[in-house]
Amino acid sequence: MLPTYCPSCHAQLKVKCLKCESCQTEVSGSYDLPVLALLSSEDQQFILRFVINSGSLKEMASELKLSYPTVRNMLNEIIHKIDRNEK
Amino acid sequence: MKSRDIPGLMVNPFTRIAGLQAFAVGLVFILLMGIIGTYSRVSFDGALDMHIGNQQSLLHSFSLLAIDLVCIVSIMWVTGLIISKGFRFVDILGTMTLAKAPLIILAVAGYFTKSPDLTAVLNDPAVLYHSTSFILVTILSVPVSIWSIVLMYHALKISCDVKGNKLAFAFIIAVLVSEIISKILILKLV
Repeated sequence: MLPTYCPSCHAQLKVKCLKCESCQTEVSGSYDLPVLALLSSEDQQFILRFVINSGSLKEMASELKLSYPTVRNMLNEIIHKIDRNEK
Repeated sequence: MKSRDIPGLMVNPFTRIAGLQAFAVGLVFILLMGIIGTYSRVSFDGALDMHIGNQQSLLHSFSLLAIDLVCIVSIMWVTGLIISKGFRFVDILGTMTLAKAPLIILAVAGYFTKSPDLTAVLNDPAVLYHSTSFILVTILSVPVSIWSIVLMYHALKISCDVKGNKLAFAFIIAVLVSEIISKILILKLV
């Protein structure tokens, strides 16, 4: 799991360096993490399943053995988190 | 379903079941409540109310249950429209119908209750305290009614995705309004 928050002060982390495994080139800077990477692994897994199920909450509910409104509420919660992260 | 999930599902089954599926299961319970209640002389004469000892026909019993259900579902639906951005009517319908299921316990308990004669009660209300079974069912009605109210609370919470004080306040108002309207409709129509 990619760390997204500072273990010391809990501020959001930024990407400082990226490295090419092929030629060993390193790109340094201060890059924002992608919005989806800021979510928990459970939320990321949920979004992945949501896309795989063609965005069908009914199919998600059936797959997760949860009711339709529960799955819709989980999606609403993730939307709130994304909104918060984008701000 | 794991056994450790069962207590949680007893107070909030709506994480697993909602919509038409919950409506179908809830209707079976209501059907049984109507039939059993007729013969055990238990009438559900209000959104939250029940009374023991009233002689009634099947039609009368089902009319009361229908009024209760229509009142609760319609008031909760209106509440949802006020407090929530987007929800499905079928979820309110299903979850609220299923939330009445625990009341079947009272319909069954009515079979084992010897309720005092109404005329005797009117002459001397203390007669009620001489019927142990009546007192026991009255005491039993408290946790069962609370269970049903807790289910209704979770039904509104899951169906409308609302939390906190907003949910608690809206729920209390909605339950009280449902009870008052159902009482008025029962007086006027049944």
